[in-house]
Amino acid sequence: MTYFRLLRKNLTRKKLRLFLTIFSIFTAFLIFGVLKTFDHALNAGVELAGADRLITTSKVSLIQPLPFAHYTKIKATEGVKNVTHASWFGGYYQEPKNFLASFAVDAESYLDIYPEIFIPEDQRTNFLANQRGVLVGEALVQQYNWKIGDTLPLISSIWTNQDGSRTWEFQVEGIFYDKEEQFDTRSLMFHYDYFNEGRAGARDSIGWLIIKTESPELNEAVSKAIDDQFANSPNETKTDTEAAFGKAFLEQFGNIGLIITSVVGAAFFTILLVAGNTMVLAVRERTNEIAVMKTLGFSNGRIFTLIVLEALLLVLLGGLPALGVSWFMVEALKSAVGGGLPPMALTPEILLQAIAYMLLLGFVTGGLPAFNAVRINVAAALGRKAI
Amino acid sequence: MTTLQQIIAITVMNLKGLRQRFWQSSAAIFSIALVITVMVGFLSMADGFEKTVAGTGSDKVAIIIREGSLSELTSGLSLEQAKLLSTAPGVAKLNGEPLASFELFVIVDLLKKSTGLSVNAPMRGIDRTSLSLRENVKIIEGRMFEPGRNEIVVGNNAREQFAGLDLGDTISFGNTEWRVVGVFDAGGSVFESELWADAKVVQTFYNRGTSYQSVRMKLAGPDSLQEIKAFAENDPRLNVDIKTEADYYAEQSKPLTTLIRWIGYPLAFVMALGALAGALNTMYTSVLARMGEITTLRALGFGAFPSFIGILTESIIIAVFGSAIGLGLAFVLFDGMLVSTLNGASFTQAVFEFSISAQLVKHALALAIVVGFVGGFFPALRAARMPIAEAFRITQT
Repeated sequence: MTYFRLLRKNLTRKKLRLFLTIFSIFTAFLIFGVLKTFDHALNAGVELAGADRLITTSKVSLIQPLPFAHYTKIKATEGVKNVTHASWFGGYYQEPKNFLASFAVDAESYLDIYPEIFIPEDQRTNFLANQRGVLVGEALVQQYNWKIGDTLPLISSIWTNQDGSRTWEFQVEGIFYDKEEQFDTRSLMFHYDYFNEGRAGARDSIGWLIIKTESPELNEAVSKAIDDQFANSPNETKTDTEAAFGKAFLEQFGNIGLIITSVVGAAFFTILLVAGNTMVLAVRERTNEIAVMKTLGFSNGRIFTLIVLEALLLVLLGGLPALGVSWFMVEALKSAVGGGLPPMALTPEILLQAIAYMLLLGFVTGGLPAFNAVRINVAAALGRKAI
Repeated sequence: MTTLQQIIAITVMNLKGLRQRFWQSSAAIFSIALVITVMVGFLSMADGFEKTVAGTGSDKVAIIIREGSLSELTSGLSLEQAKLLSTAPGVAKLNGEPLASFELFVIVDLLKKSTGLSVNAPMRGIDRTSLSLRENVKIIEGRMFEPGRNEIVVGNNAREQFAGLDLGDTISFGNTEWRVVGVFDAGGSVFESELWADAKVVQTFYNRGTSYQSVRMKLAGPDSLQEIKAFAENDPRLNVDIKTEADYYAEQSKPLTTLIRWIGYPLAFVMALGALAGALNTMYTSVLARMGEITTLRALGFGAFPSFIGILTESIIIAVFGSAIGLGLAFVLFDGMLVSTLNGASFTQAVFEFSISAQLVKHALALAIVVGFVGGFFPALRAARMPIAEAFRITQT
């Protein structure tokens, strides 16, 4: 018998058990793949936060606008390298279900502060030159088939313009990409001036400010200097690092994400534990046989390798297809839930992590009994049979 | 021995044997317990959330917001529009006055007790009529706020979930200070996550002039919603969306219910399958390891049927025992747990409670029995059917 044939025979000696074990491992890694993707998507904003960026909002709440004057005042604060501001437009395209993350921004400083927003140079110039220009994310372009030069009417759920309608017209001047995998390109931005001059009310107010400090060490001092400046005024502020802001925002979804991940994570390990236990027992049953193989002259090393390989093969047979199926599930989820979720992608890191877990599981469940197997005393093992 | 006696004898023997096969049996019990905990925990969350949503909003009350606003938060209605709306036909009246309440809905930052981080808490400005449109609301501590003052009443769930909302506390939003003068119960609905104050005071505080965000009206009869819609459509001064309050809240929580439905349920199902495979495997291995024992019994004259029933019973008992542990764990960990999350387009926290219903307990036990039955049936059948000589041969090699 060749090595491989022996491996195969060992693996398939109890077909039902083989199937059940593979199936358990399959379900465990399916859960892992989908959940990790989900979890990763939820946390993407935090990981991408710039270390030297701060966010200033109204102390009352994120939705309470700040006066435009805050922008100029913060710009003059010591330790501040650059400032930009943004306002939530609350727009949708054609109908409310096509809700879009849309902002009115001070374009030049916004693009400076967010270098990860990547646009070709000529588009950048055109966008900056056209007051009605809008910069749309790659993902939106794919979804709605917009082209550069298109006139894009967007409806705001908040802002009425001066002719009393809530439809605002823009011109697509640029498409931005993300160089990293997870930056959300399902958003769009346009010029604050066009928006501010066009709106019927709340003129000269802004939503929030993003500040780039001279260096990350100054973050704390600058935050304090800004908030102190507006203390006891009608528009008090709250300044935090971008990471803290992102984390606090995620925290708002709160327990739900945590509950789903931790509880189902527990299930992942239980299923693996039970499957692993079965695999260990399956080898232990073969003690006699291993003793016979040893008698026939199989070296310890060969027996060890054979058992570990068998375990690895079993785990990979269950785990790898599961990753494939989780990819399909993630795609299905994306189209089912749509805009309600952050962008999800089964990233290479998740795949590598899953494979690492598979290898670990294989080595542990194969290694333990293999270790016992090479240690067995042939006479004692064969003697056991007689009892 | 009669068949019954044989069954009893074998079952008792099997159950006593569980202690000797400690690792095997605890692996089975443990896996079933965990799956039940996870499933019950998850479903009690889904149930609790749905109960909260279903308990919010009446289908006899209409809510009106500016057309296309998606939620009260981004809506805006002028005082004139609000007044005009309350003259619509179909609005129920009390002592000749229309039962219409003009409300504001804003966000205040509060600290969540469990994390110490600030979250979007919903604050509602209400008027005198508002309470008569919410029949399940009652003040359980303190009193109602007095109009014109910086006083708030807080929902019981909000008080539990957010810091600084106990009766008598003073809390500051920006540079204004508010006193908590009362706590209300709203039957666990979304309203119980809110802070309520006088609409006029909220208007001043948020620089809203005389504008409001939503109008709620009691419907006089089953056709009233249509009458109000027709009224609004015929008046060019009104561009509004009109829904029943029940529909409005169902829509608001749709993102979350979709998430639960599309991520939670499929994963719970896959998990249950994985657990079933695990249980089957354990049971098979356990029966196979005891094939010698079972065959010996049969050789001694015990019937095949009693051996079959004995193994099946053992498997079901393991499953039920495991599910009982799982249920116990779920009760300790989850039942009554108060959590909150960002609720859809209203962009504010909704507090809800995990609830393990009798129905859920029944379902969990039923699942356990199915797992136990399926897990035991095939191995039991195999053990009982196998010719004695064959069985001896297998166990010897």
